[in-house]
Amino acid sequence: MNLMHACLAIIGREVRLGWGAGGGALLSASFFAGSVMVAPFALGPAPDTLGKIGPGYLWLALTLASLVSLERLFQADLEDGTLDQMLLSPVPHSLQVLSKILGQWLAAALPLLAVSPIAALLVRVEPAMILPLCLQLSVGSLGLFLIGAIGAALGASVRRGGLLVALVVLPLYAPSVIFGASAAAALATGGDFLSQPFLFLCALVLAALAFAPVAAAAAVRLHVD
Amino acid sequence: MTAGRPQLHDVRLQIKGLVLQRGFRRLVTDIDLNCEPGDIIALQGPNGSGKTTLLRAIAGFHTPAAGRITLSRAKGEEVEEPGEVLSFLGHQDPIKAGEKLIDQLRFWADLCGARRPLVSETLARVDLEKQAGLPGGVLSAGQRKRAALARLLLENRAIWLLDEPASPLDQEGRALFGQLLEQHARRGGIVLAAVHDPLPGVTARILKLGSMEAGGAV
Repeated sequence: MNLMHACLAIIGREVRLGWGAGGGALLSASFFAGSVMVAPFALGPAPDTLGKIGPGYLWLALTLASLVSLERLFQADLEDGTLDQMLLSPVPHSLQVLSKILGQWLAAALPLLAVSPIAALLVRVEPAMILPLCLQLSVGSLGLFLIGAIGAALGASVRRGGLLVALVVLPLYAPSVIFGASAAAALATGGDFLSQPFLFLCALVLAALAFAPVAAAAAVRLHVD
Repeated sequence: MTAGRPQLHDVRLQIKGLVLQRGFRRLVTDIDLNCEPGDIIALQGPNGSGKTTLLRAIAGFHTPAAGRITLSRAKGEEVEEPGEVLSFLGHQDPIKAGEKLIDQLRFWADLCGARRPLVSETLARVDLEKQAGLPGGVLSAGQRKRAALARLLLENRAIWLLDEPASPLDQEGRALFGQLLEQHARRGGIVLAAVHDPLPGVTARILKLGSMEAGGAV
């Protein structure tokens, strides 16, 4: 009960800081919306081309947008000594990290997912497909945030480490993106929402939920010495 | 803090043959230290002599090159997690610029399991009531230190590790800080503070860390 209370406090604070002044929670959503907005200009507005690559393009935009907020996930806490104090709290460190990631996801990914139906319209995704596609994107985004946290933890003490984090994280993103995009392709060809690639994606997210916090906690611990 | 009998801390700290190293530079060689409840210890030494590193080693952030640091409870039972019994106040203040002071302290209270009403009480104790609604970014260095002291009080742990705690505090702040130290020691707490000036208002045992030439002795 007490542990639950502490975890909720961490999640709540992460959301509050993200939406507060200079928190940058909307950065990912704006990046996502911006990159989708230029898609018809870059790829041409023809419905048959755009409609075909639209779902895959949304996955691409989601992947890159999720990198935007990663750099600061642990860095700010490391710099101002918050991390030291968190390590001395009675809450297990991996649980703290999990709460932080969930908080970050709530603050940064939810706005992104809220604009995703409109983004889907922009790249000419079939209207009937928009809702299932956006649901799949939201499941995938949780996985991306969890996996990305490992890279963010590794690069936490590197100044302007955004590039390093991206380099570490992008290869780890590959499986989620592959399954996510195949699930979207299955949707486009009239397949089920719970297609095989999507179930694989769900399995990946569950595995990340179990392992990523432990890995990220261990990586963050390295910087505290 | 609350009415009634104050709860007494009963934790001991024992350091044996501690060697601390940063890269290839040996900072501290063969330190022995025994702290009983009520002890106040001032760590002194020139800049770079390893005061901060020693505090961080006790807090479990830094792994010593050799030696042992043992925290034990009354019945000799060893403490596994340093965080159960000690608080650390470093020279960085973990204060977020964009968040209200009261919210930040509520967060720390939630994290360490302190009761929420205690937060405003504690803020009053360190004389920060008027600043409770201000965002962390506008606080002065002294006010930030007071806020950090408030966090220490909320955590209510036996051992306080303080790194240059008094430097940004004004006269009143130092007097208050001395009072808090004295109360903490009276309740059986242990204080280890890295300082350059003497600790205000209390008499402390002094542990001198020497300036280290490469590989030199203490």
